[in-house]
Amino acid sequence: MVSIEVISAFIGLVLTLMVFSYLIGDNLLFRVAVYLFIGVASGYAAAVIVEDVLLAKFQSLPLNDPAQLLIGLIPFFLAATLLAKLSPRLSWMGNFAMAVLVGVGAATAVGGALAGTLIPQAQASMEALNSPSLFGLVEGGVMLTGTILTLVYFQFGAKRAADGSVRRNSIFEALAWLGRIIIAVTFGVLFAGVYMAALTAMIERLSSMFNFVRSVLGL
Amino acid sequence: MMRILAAALAIASGLIVLAGYFLPEFTMLDQLRFILTDWAIIIAGMAVLVGILNLVSVQMEKVRTKQKGGMYGALLVLSLVVTFGLGLVFGPGHSLMRAAVEAIIVPVEASLLAILAVTLVYASIRLLRRRADVMSVIFLVTVVLFLIAVMPTPFGPIPVLGQLILGITGMISSGGARGLLIGVALGTLLTGLRVLFGIDRPYGGK
Repeated sequence: MVSIEVISAFIGLVLTLMVFSYLIGDNLLFRVAVYLFIGVASGYAAAVIVEDVLLAKFQSLPLNDPAQLLIGLIPFFLAATLLAKLSPRLSWMGNFAMAVLVGVGAATAVGGALAGTLIPQAQASMEALNSPSLFGLVEGGVMLTGTILTLVYFQFGAKRAADGSVRRNSIFEALAWLGRIIIAVTFGVLFAGVYMAALTAMIERLSSMFNFVRSVLGL
Repeated sequence: MMRILAAALAIASGLIVLAGYFLPEFTMLDQLRFILTDWAIIIAGMAVLVGILNLVSVQMEKVRTKQKGGMYGALLVLSLVVTFGLGLVFGPGHSLMRAAVEAIIVPVEASLLAILAVTLVYASIRLLRRRADVMSVIFLVTVVLFLIAVMPTPFGPIPVLGQLILGITGMISSGGARGLLIGVALGTLLTGLRVLFGIDRPYGGK
C-alpha cells in the first residue's frame, strides 16, 4: 500500500519538473503546473477564509443580546453587498463596504507608517551616532549620510531657469547623484539576497527530487 | 448623494480608527477601533472571495467562448472547485488538505523561486548589454562582491576580504535601505491622509 506521503512526494516531483521545463521556454507543461497551482491555492485560500474568518466570526455573534447581534450583523450585511460588485449595473451597492474597508485600511496604514516605520527608523538613525567607539561612530555617520542622500535623490522640487528649463539646484543635483550610488549599492545587496534565496530553493528542490528517486530505488 | 455618503463613511471610519490608535486612553475610541477593524477583516475576507469568484467567471467565459488557453482555465476552475469543496467538507486543517498543500502548493512555489535563480542571472547579463552606465556597473559589482563574500568556497570563508566587503556594503546598504523605508513610509502616510481627507476615493466615488 502506497502511503499518502509517497503520492504527495511523487506529485511534487512531477510538478517540479513541469515548472523547471520553463527553462527551455514557455510550454504546455509549465502552464498546466502554474494554472493548477493558482486553482489549488485560490481554493485553499477561499476555504480558509470561509472557515476561519466568516464562519468563525458568525458563530461568535451574541445570540442572547439583540442590540449586540444587530451591530454584529452589520459587517456581514456590508460584506454581502460586495457580491453586487460582480454586476456592473449594481456595483454601486458595494461602495459602502469598500468605503469602510478603505477608510479603516488607510487609518491603519497611517498609524503603521508613523509608529512602525518613520519614528523607529528616525530614532535608529540618530542613535547610531551615540556609539562610544570610533568605528561605531564612523558606521553611524556613513549610515546616516546614506539615508540622507537616498532621501535627497527622491526630492524632485525644481525651479524654472531663465531659459525656461526646469532644473534642480546644482547642490541637490550633486547630492542626488551620490544618492543614486547609495541606491545602486542597496539594490545590489537586495538583489544578491534574493538570488541567494532563489539558489537555496533550487538546491532544496533538486535535493528533494534526488532523495525521492533514491528512496524509490531503495538506495 | 451615494458618493457623498460613501466618502463620509470612509472618512468617519478612518478617523475613528486613527483616533483610537493614537488616543488609547479614551476607552470608547479604542473599543470602536477594535469593532471597525473587525468589520474590515470580515469585509476584506468577503472581498477576497468576490475576487476569486471573478477569477472563476473570467476563466469560465474563456472556456465558454472557446478562447485560446481555455483548457488551462478549465483546469484552474476544476482544481479550485475541488480544493474549495474538500476544504469546506473536511476543513482546511484536515490531512487531505495538508497533503494538497505539500504536493502542489509548496513544490510549485519553491520551483518558481528556484527558476528565479536562472532568470536573475539572465536579467543581469541583459542589464549590462542594454544599459552599461555607471549605476549598472556599481549595481552588478556590488552583487558580485556580496556573493563572493557570502558564498561558501571549497577553501572555507575568505579571511579578510569577505569581512571587509560585508562591512562596507552592509554599512552603505543599511543607510540606503533606511532611506528607502522612510520614503515608502512617507508615501504611505501621504496616500493614507489623502484617503482620510476624501481627496482620493478608491471605493467608487469620484
